[in-house]
Amino acid sequence: MAKLDLTLDPPIMNAAGALGFFPDLHGPLDWSHFGAFVTNPLSLAPRTPARGKRFVTYPGGFLLHSGYPNPGLSQALRRFARQWSRSPLPVVVHLLVRSPDEVAQMARRLEGLEGVGGVEIGLTSDASPELVAGCVQACGGELPVIARLPFERAIELAPRAIQAGAMAVSLAPPRGICPAEAGGPVQGRLYGPAILPIALRLVQELVKLGLPTIGSGGIYTHEHYNAMLSIGALAVQVDSVLWKWSGYRVLERA
Amino acid sequence: MGHFNGRVSEIRLAASGQTELSVACPPASVPAPGQYLLAIDPQDSAAVLGTPLFLINPSSQGFWAAPLHPVQWAPGTNLDLVGPLGHGFELPGNLRRLGLVALGETVSRLLPLLAQAAQARAGMTLFTDLALPSLPSALEIHPLNILPEALDWPDYLVFDLPLQRLEGLRQVLGLGDGAILPCPAQVLITTPMPCAGLARCGACAVPGHRGWKLACEDGPVFDLRSLSW
Repeated sequence: MAKLDLTLDPPIMNAAGALGFFPDLHGPLDWSHFGAFVTNPLSLAPRTPARGKRFVTYPGGFLLHSGYPNPGLSQALRRFARQWSRSPLPVVVHLLVRSPDEVAQMARRLEGLEGVGGVEIGLTSDASPELVAGCVQACGGELPVIARLPFERAIELAPRAIQAGAMAVSLAPPRGICPAEAGGPVQGRLYGPAILPIALRLVQELVKLGLPTIGSGGIYTHEHYNAMLSIGALAVQVDSVLWKWSGYRVLERA
Repeated sequence: MGHFNGRVSEIRLAASGQTELSVACPPASVPAPGQYLLAIDPQDSAAVLGTPLFLINPSSQGFWAAPLHPVQWAPGTNLDLVGPLGHGFELPGNLRRLGLVALGETVSRLLPLLAQAAQARAGMTLFTDLALPSLPSALEIHPLNILPEALDWPDYLVFDLPLQRLEGLRQVLGLGDGAILPCPAQVLITTPMPCAGLARCGACAVPGHRGWKLACEDGPVFDLRSLSW
C-alpha cells in the first residue's frame, strides 16, 4: 500500500516524551514553529512510572528513568483521539513495541484517524535487525513510519529499517548510569546539551550511509539546530530544551 | 499562569545554611503557598532546565523564594518566570489549630501559612528537627518525636515532605497500618519536576489511591487522603 506523505515543514518536531500525548492548544507553545507533533510513547497495555529514583542531574544534562508511563493504546485513543483530530499539525503517534504482532495491532487502530499523520515505532535497545525490519513492515497501512532506534546501535539497525520501508530513522536518547546519593546508581536516558557532540557525530555517520535521518540529542540553541541540519539531517527533534518553557524560542526562525 | 520578567534583587543566608532569594517580579506572578514559579536565567545558555521557586513570604518587590537555586544566580540576575504552576495549600475557613510538619530540608515552604493561620486566629504548632529562622512567638515548636503524642491537637495538618519519605510517613506519625489520621491534612511533595507539567514525563509521579498522580500538575500540594502512604 502506498504511504501518505509526511511533510515536515518546518523540519522540526518535539521528540517522543517531551510534550505529552497531544498538542495543548491553550498552552504556551506556538505550533507554527513545529512541523509535526510526536506523542509520548504509547504501549499496548498501560505502563506505570518507574520505581525508585527517576531523575539525576550532572553537569550539562540529566538522566531520566521514567518507565514511559502511559494509559495504554485503548485508553489513549478514547482520551486523546479527539485532540489529535484538532491538531494544527500532523500528529505522529509513538508506539512502544516489542514485536511485529504488537505493531500490527496498534498501527491498524491508527489508520484513518483524523489528525494522525504518521507512526514512530520505538524499538528496544536489544532489538535485532530482523525484529526492526519486521516491526517496520508490520505497519502495513498508509501511515508513514519513522523507526526510532537505540542510540548505541543506530548504525547497525538503520539500514534494515529503511530497507523495510521506514521513511526515516530517529534516535532514542543515549543510555547511561549516574551515581545517586542514596539507593545506588541509576540507569536511564540522557538529556541535555552535553550529548550534542556525540549526537551530531552519529547523525553525520548515518547521513554518510545515505540514510534519511531525523537528528536529535542535546539541541538547545538555534546554532545546535542549524548544525544538525547542516550535516544532512532530514529534520530535527528537540526534547528537554522545551521544558525550559521559553526554550523553544531559541528555535524560532530568524 | 503566564510569562513574566523578574530579577534577583537580594540573597540572604538562612538559618539552615542555605540561601534564600528575593525575586523582584509582578504581583500576578507571585505563587501562592505551595505553588511554584519556574525560573530560568535567559542569559545562561548552559542552564539545562528551569528552577522551581516556592514562596516564603511576599515582599514589596515580589517575594522571597525558598532554597534551592543555582549558585550562579546573584543580585541583578534577570529571570524568565513562568507560572504560578501547580496546586497550592488551601486552609479550611474554620481553622482553629494548625499543625505544620517539616520533613524536608527547609521549613521555608510552610512559613507563608503562618500568616493565614494568624489571620484566622488559629493556634499554630511546628514540628521539625531543622534549624529555624526567626519565627513568630505565637508559634509553638516541637521536635518530630513528639508528633505521635500530639496528633490529637491539630484540626488540620500540613506537611512539607520529600517524595522518598512518603513511604515512611506512618512511622513518623506513629500510625499503624490501616490507622487513619485524626484530622484532614495536605502535603507538599517535593521531588524533581523536570518537565514542569509540559510533558507528563512521569519523573515526579506520586502514588495515589486511584493510580499515579504527577506532582508538577496534580500537586505539588495534595490532599493526603488521596495518596497511597
